[in-house]
Amino acid sequence: MTFFFQELVNGITTGALYALVALGFSMVYGVLKLLNFAHGDLYMVGAYIGFFVIRWFGGPTALTIPVWLLLVIMFVLAGGLVGGMGVAIERFAYRPLRNAPRIAPLITAIGISFFLENSALLLFGAQYRIYNTPDFISFSSGIRIGSVTIDAVQIMVLLLGLALMVGLRLLVSRTRLGKQMRAVAVDREAAEMLGINVNFTIAATFFIGSALAGVAGVMAGLLFNQVYSLIGFTAGLKAFTASVIGGIGSIPGAMLGGLLIGIAESFITGYISSTYTNLIVFGLLIVVMLLRPSGLLGQAQLQKV
Amino acid sequence: MRRSVIIAVAAVGTLVAAGCASSSSSSSSSSTSSSSSGAATAACVASTGMEGPLTGPVAVLGQEQLHFAELAVAMDNTANGTQISIVQGDTQLNPALATTVTQQLTSNAKIVAVAGPAGSQEVEAVGPLMARAGLAFISGSATNATLTTGKYPTFFRVVSKDSVQGPEDANFIVANLKPKALMIVDDQEAYSTGLVTAMTPIFTAAGIKVDHESVSQKVTDFSSLVAKVTANTSVVVLPWQVAANAQQFGRDLAQQHKNAVIFGTDGLFSPGTFSIGGSYVSSFGPDITGIAADAAIAAAAQSKYGTFGTFGPPVFAAQHVIDEAISSVCKAGQTPSRANVLAAIKQTNEPTSILGQPIQFDSNGDLVNGKFFLFKISSAGKYQLNATQLAG
Amino acid sequence: MSLDAPPPAAGPQVGADEWVARQAHRREYLPSFLGQAQRRFERIGFWPKLAVAGLAGAALPAVQLGGFQLQVGIDTLDIMLLALGLNIVVGWAGVLDLGYVAFYGIGAYGFALLSSGQIGSHGIHLPAELSVPIVMIGTAILGLMVGWPSRRLIGDYLAIVTLFFGEAFVEFTNNVAPSVFGGPNGIVGIDTIRAFGLSVTSNTGYYYLLVILVVVVMAVLRLLDTSRTGRAWRAVREDPLAAASMTIPVNRVKLMAFAFGAAVAALAGTIFAAQQISVFPTDFDTPILILVYAALVLGGVGSIAGAATGALVLMVIYDGLLRNGNYAGYLFYGLILLTVLVKVRPWRRLATVLAGTVALGFAAHAIARAISARAVAGSPQSTGWLGATVRHWVIIPANPQGLGDWGYVVLVCLLIALVQAKQPWRTILLVPALYLAAVVWETILAAQPAIARQIMLGAILIVTMNARPQGLLGTRRVEVPQ
Repeated sequence: MTFFFQELVNGITTGALYALVALGFSMVYGVLKLLNFAHGDLYMVGAYIGFFVIRWFGGPTALTIPVWLLLVIMFVLAGGLVGGMGVAIERFAYRPLRNAPRIAPLITAIGISFFLENSALLLFGAQYRIYNTPDFISFSSGIRIGSVTIDAVQIMVLLLGLALMVGLRLLVSRTRLGKQMRAVAVDREAAEMLGINVNFTIAATFFIGSALAGVAGVMAGLLFNQVYSLIGFTAGLKAFTASVIGGIGSIPGAMLGGLLIGIAESFITGYISSTYTNLIVFGLLIVVMLLRPSGLLGQAQLQKV
Repeated sequence: MRRSVIIAVAAVGTLVAAGCASSSSSSSSSSTSSSSSGAATAACVASTGMEGPLTGPVAVLGQEQLHFAELAVAMDNTANGTQISIVQGDTQLNPALATTVTQQLTSNAKIVAVAGPAGSQEVEAVGPLMARAGLAFISGSATNATLTTGKYPTFFRVVSKDSVQGPEDANFIVANLKPKALMIVDDQEAYSTGLVTAMTPIFTAAGIKVDHESVSQKVTDFSSLVAKVTANTSVVVLPWQVAANAQQFGRDLAQQHKNAVIFGTDGLFSPGTFSIGGSYVSSFGPDITGIAADAAIAAAAQSKYGTFGTFGPPVFAAQHVIDEAISSVCKAGQTPSRANVLAAIKQTNEPTSILGQPIQFDSNGDLVNGKFFLFKISSAGKYQLNATQLAG
Repeated sequence: MSLDAPPPAAGPQVGADEWVARQAHRREYLPSFLGQAQRRFERIGFWPKLAVAGLAGAALPAVQLGGFQLQVGIDTLDIMLLALGLNIVVGWAGVLDLGYVAFYGIGAYGFALLSSGQIGSHGIHLPAELSVPIVMIGTAILGLMVGWPSRRLIGDYLAIVTLFFGEAFVEFTNNVAPSVFGGPNGIVGIDTIRAFGLSVTSNTGYYYLLVILVVVVMAVLRLLDTSRTGRAWRAVREDPLAAASMTIPVNRVKLMAFAFGAAVAALAGTIFAAQQISVFPTDFDTPILILVYAALVLGGVGSIAGAATGALVLMVIYDGLLRNGNYAGYLFYGLILLTVLVKVRPWRRLATVLAGTVALGFAAHAIARAISARAVAGSPQSTGWLGATVRHWVIIPANPQGLGDWGYVVLVCLLIALVQAKQPWRTILLVPALYLAAVVWETILAAQPAIARQIMLGAILIVTMNARPQGLLGTRRVEVPQ
């Protein structure tokens, strides 16, 4: 039984991480109808930024500032810088292509993803960068229920992830910016005619989505300790899977999808075998796509003539 | 825009023609040269190739191999008065890329021998090409047993093979660690799966319950896998290439309060990265900082390139074998060519080497009496040599 | 509240139509004699051009030189085949297939299983005239099966599903049934191509075989393109709904595209497997997909000649960057100079830019040397006359990594700014951008050619789609907003 709960805890933690990345991805799709393949690589950039912040303040062993302050700086900096990167990418790569054939921005996105991965390889080198989290957040600061352990980092990831998701939900449903986002997502031209500044709204969406990815990257660094140039690719795949399963364009769908993927991976590894984890998850995706193409929580898209 | 298209295509065509012309008249020059820029004198001048994963997921290992090869060439040039230079080839551990790189090296008539490639799959892919060109190639890390069954007449290696390392490690675990149950995880690479195939029968024959798992090198989260480690599982075998992953695995073990000991192989030898106290690392290469005779080499490598693991020294040994072969050919008054360098390599008989053992090749290209080295990591993270001779 | 002015006309314009595009095209002809030659050239049909290209390709081994060029030629022809097949799916039917490399892999593995010692105690050693068609038909059927769910999926979903299919293929061949598929060890000892009693024994043989295949495939594709199926594909690509109302069976047409594309990829895969004598799962991973897409996009999506040309140009550059010696340097500087020559008009501005870059370089070098000797103590990656030329022009510190890294980031920002800027600023910013490009090349890029060329691939995709979406030889498409 403890095994079940341990796997559940692991699954929910990683699921929260996937959900955060999927959220940004889903938001961008909702507003621009664009699959942003570069989203996973923004996550990778966030993880690197977190690493360099740790180094800047004395490395994992000789911190010059308290841990909580370090964490705050890491998250804010990663979120801000990566958000800015997202806005820049949108501004110069996607905006000129807003009226181009659908394939053009998709291929551009693939190009940006590849470009970012290899630029990171060039600038930061091939060796893995290690956060060494246990050196400044030790394992003993966690809780233990029976023989199920949840350490402090996992708790922080869960709480922060939850807070961000709730915050995003509130942003989208209660604020004016959220209303504008929803309007642009439904019909861009009509929104423009109603006086909404579409460019600003899209830029804001990209900022928030990319910032979420950046924060998720830092969390991944804290949880998994290892950062290298290809982690974005895997994370991006998981984000697509989560968004699609949950219903692309839908925020609660992305959250649900992320959690489902995390828990599924955990249980498949635990109860079946780690060899087939990825294959089974892909298989799940295909099944969901065949049975319910709009995802679990998405709405069937109407095709306008 | 039309004009630009035409000019562009024409220019590329010119470049192609220029490239073809330039490479037909003279072979490509080296990109890393340890000799001076003076004209070739009557001294012994030769080019050798070096193939390794210089970029890609295991770029750290490839770069280490390259650095040690360059170090060997620099030291040998000074000692023997030769002018040997290295031509690099990046294979990214990808056999198809290795084939292209090998074509590049074999068509360069100046290259008389090659150090590398690193992976066993790559050796399988390029073996026939090397044989056809009569080019000797010495690998410092390809350990698959099937490579030295006579299929590749110009292949040599300076390390022992999986079919020896695997069973020896397994016997050590059974005899000394005596687990009731163990988990063995491969990283979906040929090196790893080869070792698993060699070790598992020995475990099952000894009555140990074996849980065989598999995760790709790209996975960074092992918490779900670690949760599967039962209370009875006292050993986890990780024949991985990426030390950072093993470190994370060890951390997850500690976080979930599991008591299993990690037993790893060559790729985990990385004093800065993998330092879980109580772990064992079995390596085909020695820790040269522990060998007194290698002090100068270790110091030079440390100052120039920083920390290193066990993948560099075997390539140093390979390059040194090549350098010595070239030097002996020159001393006999001949110009180095592929044929005479190959013959000289076959005759290699070094009483001592950077690996702490003599180097001699058997008729299939295997290292005679290759040794394995077992290290145990102390609680402070230091690597201590445990049992030097595991293999005969 | 503000409404942005519509972006300046660059690329497909909403509201413009084919006639306008053709007018713009006509305006681009060179003046007088060259223009007439151009028009004559365009009037030559497809078939004569194909014949000439085929003969030129076949003549190449006679002209040169050495196993390496032959191997590169073989690789280029492989990518050409793949680009041609991808063109059917992406360019003609408009379906974004991100798992295309999986069909390549299925073709290779299929041939490997049928024509080697892998299965059973002695293996099935089918001669090529049997195994290649079997593999092609099998892959085409698989393509149908993969495309079948697409009838319910809109374009973007299909992209994701095919992406996962591609990933699943690599995982599958790596982990499932290692005794059959070889696991990470792959399958080795594959037979060479043996058909009708003849067998291909050398790389030259493979090269000729591939040239013949490429010519044949291009001919078949041309016939398809001008047939009803080709027209149906184009109709479905432009507006599926309108096509459906014109009684075109949209789903069946898409499936046919999938099947054809898969068959061509499988053909390329079989030759690849036979020539390499071995297949491994990593041979069919994402980098190859990006390479094929870059080739197709560069050449022109939707055009047969475009696919072939794009593959040729790309592989020449891709390979050239990996060669030793100064070849990579020549290529790099050559391409930059070419772009500047072509894009910066009139010649007065061009001369100013070039002179300014040289002057800036020398000035910066002198200032850096005055500040600290260490700042210019390093040596450039280029050697020979190129190295001697740039040594006193480019700032290369004793430790080049720091300057190289920051220079790279600043360069990317400069390039972005260049794209957005208006005229006087554009010329002004071009000068430091060019100099910085040389600095970055000499400090970090030339030392890592493998990474440099991957970056180049990504850049090609981004720049082509933004600046010239129709690639080198494609035709401009006009998209009707949905």
